[in-house]
Amino acid sequence: MHFKENLGLLTRYGTILALILLFLSFSLFIPGFVDPENLMNILRQIALLLIIAEGFTMVLIVGELDLSFANVASLASVMVAGLIIRNVPYGWSILLTLLVGAGFGLLNGFFITRIGISSLITTLSTGIIASGLVYLYTKGVSFYGNMPEGFLYLGRGTILGIPFLVLIMLLVLVAAHILVTKTVVGIYMQATGGNPLAAYLSGVPIAFYKLLGMVICGVSAAFTGILLTARLGAANPEGAAGFLMEGFAIVLLGQTVFTLGKSTPIGTFVGALIIGILNNGLTLLGAQYYVQDIVKGIIMILSVVIASLYSKREGKG
Amino acid sequence: MEILKTEGITKDFPGVRALDHVDFELQKGEIHGIVGENGAGKSTFVKILSGVYPPTEGKIFIDGKSVSFSSPKDAHGLIGVVHQERELVPTFTGAQNLFLGQEVSKLGFVQQKQIYRLGKEFVKRFDLPVELDVPVRELSSGKQELITILKVLFRKPPVLIFDEPTASLSVKEAEALFRLIRSLKTEGVSVIYISHNLQEVLSLCDRITVFRNGKKVATNDASSLTQATLIRHMIAKDLEHQYPKRFIPVGSEVFRVENYTCMDFHLTHISFHIKGGEIVGFAGLVGSGRTELAKAIFTGHPYDEGALFLKGKPIKIGSVRNAIKNGIVMIPENRREEGIIGTFSVEENLTLPNMREVSVYGFKQQRKIEELVSRIIQAFSIRLVSPKQRITKLSGGNQQKVSLGKWLEKDAVLWIFDEPTQGIDVETKSEIYTIMGDLASKGAGIWFISSDLRELTAISDRIYVMCASTIVDEFQRPFDMEKILRAMHGKEASEGIHAF
Repeated sequence: MHFKENLGLLTRYGTILALILLFLSFSLFIPGFVDPENLMNILRQIALLLIIAEGFTMVLIVGELDLSFANVASLASVMVAGLIIRNVPYGWSILLTLLVGAGFGLLNGFFITRIGISSLITTLSTGIIASGLVYLYTKGVSFYGNMPEGFLYLGRGTILGIPFLVLIMLLVLVAAHILVTKTVVGIYMQATGGNPLAAYLSGVPIAFYKLLGMVICGVSAAFTGILLTARLGAANPEGAAGFLMEGFAIVLLGQTVFTLGKSTPIGTFVGALIIGILNNGLTLLGAQYYVQDIVKGIIMILSVVIASLYSKREGKG
Repeated sequence: MEILKTEGITKDFPGVRALDHVDFELQKGEIHGIVGENGAGKSTFVKILSGVYPPTEGKIFIDGKSVSFSSPKDAHGLIGVVHQERELVPTFTGAQNLFLGQEVSKLGFVQQKQIYRLGKEFVKRFDLPVELDVPVRELSSGKQELITILKVLFRKPPVLIFDEPTASLSVKEAEALFRLIRSLKTEGVSVIYISHNLQEVLSLCDRITVFRNGKKVATNDASSLTQATLIRHMIAKDLEHQYPKRFIPVGSEVFRVENYTCMDFHLTHISFHIKGGEIVGFAGLVGSGRTELAKAIFTGHPYDEGALFLKGKPIKIGSVRNAIKNGIVMIPENRREEGIIGTFSVEENLTLPNMREVSVYGFKQQRKIEELVSRIIQAFSIRLVSPKQRITKLSGGNQQKVSLGKWLEKDAVLWIFDEPTQGIDVETKSEIYTIMGDLASKGAGIWFISSDLRELTAISDRIYVMCASTIVDEFQRPFDMEKILRAMHGKEASEGIHAF
């Protein structure tokens, strides 16, 4: 009985508590961790991950899955680089690339809502297609070349000492939060994911909102790919591949933040902070990258275990 | 000698007493029928006997020994239940399904031939028309059910419970099942047989127990009963005051359906109309097409033939959205799956169809939302701690009020209520009847689907009876419940009644 009550508390505030504990212990034990530059560094490091994960969060909110977003981001990354190197104005390059991202979202949404294929299979397939297009376009080599200052500023510039990427990230976070919690569209998206049948019978056009979730995710993946190229000044075919696993890790963590099993933009942000702090702290400690992977894997499993324990408890109560 | 006995079995769900001190006895080698209207407590009783729920109070004895089941697994070897849901692996053959969990194997290799041989013997013994060598998904639903039954028999439990076993069987399959049950009886197996088909129960069972409102009403020898006496037991006469009925002058026609045929839902040649201020009941057995008709029309499903008229004008519905826009709303049958969003708060559930009215340029206006929500909560006296609480924390009756309250400010002209009082407490039930009366008095037409004939005849102004996916009869007040029941059971049953 006590265990169960504690579990409820633990799951409600546990993730935020874990974030605070992690932050405090790293501050105490890792020299240089709390330096303002390092903290800003953490935010800069999670910026791209959070932007792509907020898109993925929308997909989860409408009750679907997306396995293609990392490959779409890679495609966007090489596409925008290729266009710019071929002297297409960078404004147009960005716009075209975003449209390709939206196109992938539409394609995913079409198969899911019109044909009725599961999002898992659909996005696995379109993800492979995106990856194939990357290699078709690049022949497997990275793109280097002169890119205009204005474009590189997106990924490297600062305003009053704050990296532009961090500002974009905060903007995306706030926009996502407002969209989900304050607008009609957001409520309809949540209803679609919460109980599609009931939402449908309440007059919500659920196919549209599922499609919308997929499109937002495609656009945010493309946007992330563009920013990645702007940060690196180059693009390589596997550049965004790591976002898939990391993206999953932070949204799963995010689902333990407020209401278990429910994705929220802020929850995803908390997840991203935890992963960002862990990566940073472990690097400062000199841990190898594979140690970080092991730690992240353990955290993912733990967050899912807590969620399933809690849902069993809910089921019985 | 009795093999199974219960003493004072009581089951409370939040806000509802589903079973009230049920004393029940099953003799060894007896076929014992249980009948009662929907919500009388039959399924809850079976679920307690089979360990799905623990009873709130009371004891179960098997062979004179008190037993308590904490899960269906505990009851497995003692009480076998054939549910309406089938637990088969669709890609396995019948034989493979039969032996699932008790594979005949040598050194870890399944002995396929042996399985088929044993399975065939088994089928032969009971003389069942079932193929064991094809994947079960290729079999008809009736044959799948027979395999499910064989699977339960295979564990050789001393007590067997059949819950509506003939619903999906063809006549031939049903006859095979009755033969099987009778031969089990001669082997000393005791059977509890639950069915809506009174005819079946009367001819098959030795004794029959009637449930009503969670209570056991009577147990009698089947030979001393007729369909008419059973129906009389099933229907309480003393409960009229539970049904507040307002008689409202009927206005002009609100909704009319002419010769509607929708093959996707197997609905054929349906015509009916509903007037303003009128509560029109739809009676019929489960599967008679009542819910399908309401859903097909409300969701604007494409149909093959016919015409719909709203307030005298032809209307094309096309989508739920458009239905709502035209003032047609529905409170669906399965509250949990269709009526509410479990992850939402009460407030969010109530605002969902009203988002446009409580938002400006696509942004929610919290003040407007709170005003709307408090108006609905007051109008329907929804009992809650706070509108922000998760809807699943409310009692079933209050959840149902949310499910219908969300439509309050839509100024609907046609309200479709599909089983609105199922699984909710008596008090809330009568509140819902009052709400229906209020809506009617404001000029709305009420389309009222219910399996509870008592409430249907008490509240409705007119009743259509559906059977086999079409409307077979129409009744005016005062209603003759027995005639309605006969119409519900179709031709077969009415001939049966004449025979008695």
